[in-house]
Amino acid sequence: MVDPLMDLSLAPETATHSLAREEALRVERLSISFGGLRAVDDLSFAVRKKEIFGLIGPNGAGKTTVFNCITQFYRPDEGNVFFRAGKGRAERVVNLVGQPVHSIIGLGLVRTFQNVEIIQELSLLENVLIGAHIDFKATAFEQAFKLPRALREERSFRKKAEEALAFLGIAGRRDLPAGGQPYGVLKKVELARTLMANPRLIILDEPAAGLNDSETQELSSTIYQIRDVYDCTILLVEHDMHLVMGVCDRICAISFGKFLACDAPEEIKRNKLVQEAYLGEEEV
Amino acid sequence: MNEMNESPLASLKPSPWSSPYLRFVLFGLLAASLPLLSGSGLMKSSTLNYIGNVLVYAVAALGLNLLLGYAGLISLGTAGFMGLGSYIAAYAVKDMGLSFWAALTAAVLIPTLIGLLIGLISLRIEGIYLAIATLCVSEILLKSFEQADSITGGMQGKSVSYPVIFGHTFNRSSTYILLVVALTLVMILTHNFVSGQKGRALHAMRGSEVAAQAMGVNLLQYRLIAFSLATAYAALSGALYVFFIKFSYPSVWNLNLSLYVLAAVVIGGLRSIYGTIIGTFVVWAVPDLVLKKLPVVGGINGLPYIFNGILIILVVMFAPQGISGLWQAKFPLKRKKKEKEEAISGKKEDE
Repeated sequence: MVDPLMDLSLAPETATHSLAREEALRVERLSISFGGLRAVDDLSFAVRKKEIFGLIGPNGAGKTTVFNCITQFYRPDEGNVFFRAGKGRAERVVNLVGQPVHSIIGLGLVRTFQNVEIIQELSLLENVLIGAHIDFKATAFEQAFKLPRALREERSFRKKAEEALAFLGIAGRRDLPAGGQPYGVLKKVELARTLMANPRLIILDEPAAGLNDSETQELSSTIYQIRDVYDCTILLVEHDMHLVMGVCDRICAISFGKFLACDAPEEIKRNKLVQEAYLGEEEV
Repeated sequence: MNEMNESPLASLKPSPWSSPYLRFVLFGLLAASLPLLSGSGLMKSSTLNYIGNVLVYAVAALGLNLLLGYAGLISLGTAGFMGLGSYIAAYAVKDMGLSFWAALTAAVLIPTLIGLLIGLISLRIEGIYLAIATLCVSEILLKSFEQADSITGGMQGKSVSYPVIFGHTFNRSSTYILLVVALTLVMILTHNFVSGQKGRALHAMRGSEVAAQAMGVNLLQYRLIAFSLATAYAALSGALYVFFIKFSYPSVWNLNLSLYVLAAVVIGGLRSIYGTIIGTFVVWAVPDLVLKKLPVVGGINGLPYIFNGILIILVVMFAPQGISGLWQAKFPLKRKKKEKEEAISGKKEDE
């Protein structure tokens, strides 16, 4: 899938200048406006490899917009998003800005959604299998006639999907339709779906939204496990401060699309700007 | 999540009857046995023609169901592509002396390529542009059928004889069997296709465009796939038509036919293979085989139009999932009735 020549040609321009060795993702001077509203304003931050990185901010701070700019659902007006794509020898640095939305997952960047985006009519297993969409090589013809390659692929990805469901503890429900499953289960299905894509970086958009306390507790250990077992970096937006402070290595705080601070959780808690953004300015 | 609160459904063993292939073959055998009935005088010979027609139109309806059911797009050009398929098949066999298989291949491939071109142009923009573009193309094709005398026979129509396959000359009954085999094959292939990776991608596209895109589904590509399949099915349907009916007239391939196919899909039920077959039967066979024999009502002019019109209104109002939806609500065999999660997933907007 990776053209080695392409890789070399990219290297001198982007690899050395845009992404330090330990970085997995760098958002650089990102801006986007909707009409008169500047939703993201000259925002920069970098996520290190294998880091669990949190993006926080009060309601309307533009967190999800940042995610959408990274994953190219929105085209940013200005700025770059450099991403370390691929594994091992195929590793390379790509500027995500301007890439087609559907090509992002192929680079190893995969996301979940704030309000789970699950296909109600499909079973949990089939939903997870959608995460392997780009890895299927069999043509429509081979699939319609169930030729050996199509069967082989289907079998091996089914196994992989079952493993992902088992990893998250919902293997027993794999054949049930997604419609009617509890919200917590659907959130896990979305997570399992991202794991199918051999991700380098997983973006979680409010993974704890709608979960109860014990489910949130379980989520933080799941996030650690995903990072370690699947060897990837995690970037998350979350309102549940308890989860964010507990699970993140570093946190970037934004307000009204602008950068406030980027530091370890303890430092962020003490940061004056962040406190003001959340609690309002102190009257002096 | 604890494994304790498992639903008992998960542990149900599938019975051998749940094999879809067995059911497809049974369906085929059942349909194929109808000529025996007419041979033994239990069924009128003309009835077989109606059923044969249903089988032919069902192929086109299955294709349109892929397009409407998964991509959510409407084609109003079904009839045009069916006509094109029928004339190409007839011309290839009669005027060019090609074999049945070569004629069938050409009759499916050429319209599909044309469809692909139309799709490439009109699918870049979302919305009803495909419907408009296919409507135009269909009308252009219809005019061409009337004018291109040397190929289509103009208003007189084009005639062919029953097909000759591997040196064996078919008659009416064996051509009917051929239709059954073709439809059964199309049903099996469609089933395989929609339950595989490409079908899941189509499902994802319909269920959540953003999720589909995030998972690497190229929306334009999959809309094109759905539309090309709809075109190919329509063309195949037209080719089968001309070999069974032995004639192709321009007046058959009008907008009316496209709307009938659309009605069959909506009445039968989106994304349901058997629903489509039943819908086709309801739309084409029920008015002629049943309603016309009723007293008083049977005498009304344009009865099929009234019947189908009322049916569509009823379906849209009371059973948006069509006949197959009613069936599944009554006998929820494999899929539990959908309960939307809206209560819990109520939007928590961030931005």
